[in-house]
Amino acid sequence: MASGVKFGWAAALLIAAGGASAQQLAPSPTLDAIKARGHLECGVHLGLPGFSFANDKGEWSGLDVDYCRALAAAILGDATKVKYTPTSVQQRWPILQSGQVDVLSRNTTITFSRNASLGINFQGINFYEGQTFIVRTAAGAKTPKDLDGATICVAAGSTEEKNAADWYRERNMKVTIVNFQKNDDAIAAYDSGRCDAYTAGVGALAGQRIKLKTPGEHAIMSELISKDPQGPVTRYGDERFQAVVRWVLNGLITAEELGVTSANVDEMKAKSQSGDVRRLLGVEGGFGAMLGLSNDWMYNAIKQVGNYGESFERTVGQGSPLKLQRGYNQLWTKGGLLFSPSFQ
Amino acid sequence: MDGRNKSGHDDASCIRLMLRRLLYDAKIRDAIYQIALVMGLVALSVWFVRNASQNLVNAGIASGFDFLWRTSGIDVPFVLTNYTAQSRIIDLMWVGVVNTLLVTIIAIIGATLLGFVIGLVRLSPHWLAARVAGAYIEVVRNIPLLFFILFWYFGVIAALPAPRQSISVFGVAFINNRGLTIPVPIDGFAFRAAAVITVAALVLAWIAARAARAERDRSGKTSFGWLAPALALGAPLLAFVVATLISTWDVPVLRGFNYRGGFVLIPEFAAVLAALITYTAAFVAEIVRGGVEAVPAGQSEAASALGLTTAQRLRLVIIPQALRVMTPPMTSQYLNVLKNSSFGAAIAFPELVSVFMGSALNNTGQAIEIIAITLALYLAIGLAVSAFMNWYNARIRLVTR
Repeated sequence: MASGVKFGWAAALLIAAGGASAQQLAPSPTLDAIKARGHLECGVHLGLPGFSFANDKGEWSGLDVDYCRALAAAILGDATKVKYTPTSVQQRWPILQSGQVDVLSRNTTITFSRNASLGINFQGINFYEGQTFIVRTAAGAKTPKDLDGATICVAAGSTEEKNAADWYRERNMKVTIVNFQKNDDAIAAYDSGRCDAYTAGVGALAGQRIKLKTPGEHAIMSELISKDPQGPVTRYGDERFQAVVRWVLNGLITAEELGVTSANVDEMKAKSQSGDVRRLLGVEGGFGAMLGLSNDWMYNAIKQVGNYGESFERTVGQGSPLKLQRGYNQLWTKGGLLFSPSFQ
Repeated sequence: MDGRNKSGHDDASCIRLMLRRLLYDAKIRDAIYQIALVMGLVALSVWFVRNASQNLVNAGIASGFDFLWRTSGIDVPFVLTNYTAQSRIIDLMWVGVVNTLLVTIIAIIGATLLGFVIGLVRLSPHWLAARVAGAYIEVVRNIPLLFFILFWYFGVIAALPAPRQSISVFGVAFINNRGLTIPVPIDGFAFRAAAVITVAALVLAWIAARAARAERDRSGKTSFGWLAPALALGAPLLAFVVATLISTWDVPVLRGFNYRGGFVLIPEFAAVLAALITYTAAFVAEIVRGGVEAVPAGQSEAASALGLTTAQRLRLVIIPQALRVMTPPMTSQYLNVLKNSSFGAAIAFPELVSVFMGSALNNTGQAIEIIAITLALYLAIGLAVSAFMNWYNARIRLVTR
C-alpha cells in the first residue's frame, strides 16, 4: 500500500511537472525489444491454408499471417520485418509464455480458462467461427446429429476435442473420438478411412479440405456445435504493447468500415476531411505517438497489408481457394459481428 | 600419540592434532566431498524449483497439482479401466499408464520370441534362411521406428475394409478399419472366477510336478506323471468353457456407422504393437546371435558327441550359457520398448504421452507439472523393468568358485 501511495504522489508530481509535454510513456519492454532487434516475432500455425501457410519459397501468407504483417508495419514501418515461428497445438502456449514470440496469431479459440490460468490475454477477435464436421458425402450425414455411432478424428488438446465429447454426451449419443497430436495427422487418418468425420472450426476445415485426396467427395456441415472466436494473443504484462496489438486489429477493421483501402490510402490521407479517417491515418490526433509508435502506424499497415476486408477476401474469401463467405465476419454495419471500438 | 600425550601435551593440542589427522584421512576427505556434492545438488534443485515457481507466479500461470482432480472431458477410444469423459484428469493419466504397460509388456514378449527365432535362423547352417534373416536384421535396424509405425498404421488401415464390408469371424467378431470388435460378457463374474480357478490349478500343478519328480528321484518310478499337465491344461480349459457358456454376451451388431456393443481393439493398438515387435526383434536377434556365438564351439561339439539332437543341444547346452551374455543387453532393449511405446502418440494410440502429455497438458496448460509426472512415471516403470532383469541376471549368473 505504501508504495502505491508513493507512486500516486510521484505520478501527480510528474503530471504537474510534465504538463505540457506528454512525452512520458510507460515503458514497454516488448516494443523496445522489437525495435531494437528490428523485427517482430510472431507465432503462427504449422500450416493451415488461408490462415497461415508457407509456400515452397518459405513465404508465409494467410489471414493470421496478415495480422502479423500489419503489426510489424505499424511498429517498424515494414510489413516484411516478421519472423514466423510455426507452432503446434501443444507448443503454442510455452512459446508465448517463455517470450520466444511477441504475439501469437494462430487459429486459437479464446476461452475463459486459458485467459485465467495460462498467463495469456486475448486482444480482440479477427475471426468468428464455430466448430463443425467434414464428412464423406457418400455417408449421407447432413447434420452433427446424424453422426450418432460415428468415429471422429480430432487434434488432441484442442477445444474441439472436448466440445465434441460434451456435445454428444449431452444428447445421449455415442461417438468414438480418436485424438491425434497434430491436425495434419488427424486429417490424414480421416482421409485414409479411419474416421467417418473430422472436426475443427469451419475455417480450419475449409483450409484442410484442400489437402484431401478428392476434396469434391467431402462436405462441410453448416450446423455449428460451438462458437470459437479467435484473435491475437499476448502474455500477461506490458499493457502498452497489448494496447498496440489490440488497436492495430481495431484499426484494420475500422479502415474497412471507413472505406480506406491499400489502393486509396494515399488519397484519403491527403484529402479526407473525415475526423475518423484523419485520426486513423495520423493526419491529426497524434494517436501513433500515444502508443509509442510513429503517427503513420496505421497508414503503413493499411498501405502494405490492406484493411481487414481486403485481407479476408485475399486469404480465405472469394479471392482464395477456400471461398469462405464473410458471414459472421462481416462488418456490423453489414449484418456481421465485426465491431471496432472508436478511434476517438 | 598416547606416549606424547602422557608426556605433558595439553588436551587442546591433542584435539587439534586429531582434527588435522581427520582432514588428511583419505576416507574422511572422500566423505566430505560426497556430502558437499549431494548438498550442492540439493541446493541447485531447490533453486531450480523456487526459480520456476516464482517465474510461473510472475507470468500469471497457475501451478500446483490441483488440476489432477478436475474433470477431464476427454473421450478415449481404448480404455481398460472404468474411465469415462466425466472422470478426473488423474484417471486419464492412469488410462495412459495402463495402455503404456499393456503395449510394452506384450511387445517385450513378442519381440523376445520373434527375435529369438530370427537370431537362431540367422545362425542356422541353411544358407538361404540365414541370409534372409540377416537381410531382415540389417534393413530393420536401419529404418527409423517412426517410419515403421506409420507404415504399419497406414498399411494396415488401407488394407482393411470399411465397417459395412467387415471381415466377419464366425459372425460374432468383426475386423474393419475401425479395429477388431469382439463380443464381451455383460457380467464378468464367471470369467473372474475362471481366472481364479486357473491360478489355483497352476499352483496345484506346480506342487504336483514337484512331488512327482521327488517320487521319481526317490523310487525311480514315474508316478502321477499325468496329474500336473492335466491340472495345468484341463482345469483352466474347463473353467473357461463353463464361463463362456453361462455368461450373457454383448455381441457387436452393425448399426449406422459401425458395430455397436462388444469391445473394440483399435487399429492404433495393433499398429504400435506390430511396429514395436518387428522393430525390436531385429535388435533382439543380434543380441541372441552375439550370445550364442559367445558360447565356445567346444560346447556344441561336446553336446553333439553326447548324441544330443540339434534342438536338445540348443535348449540344454547353448542357450542356458548364452542367456548369461544376453541378459544385460536385453534389459536395454526392454527399456527401449518402454520408451519407444511413446511413439504411439504419433498415430493416436492413447498411451501416456498421447493422453497425458498431449490432451491433458493442452487442456490444462500445466506443462511443468505434467512433464515432471510423466518423467517420474517412465522412470518408475523403467526402474521396475531393470530391477526385474537384474534379479533374473543374478539368478542365471554363472556361479564360479
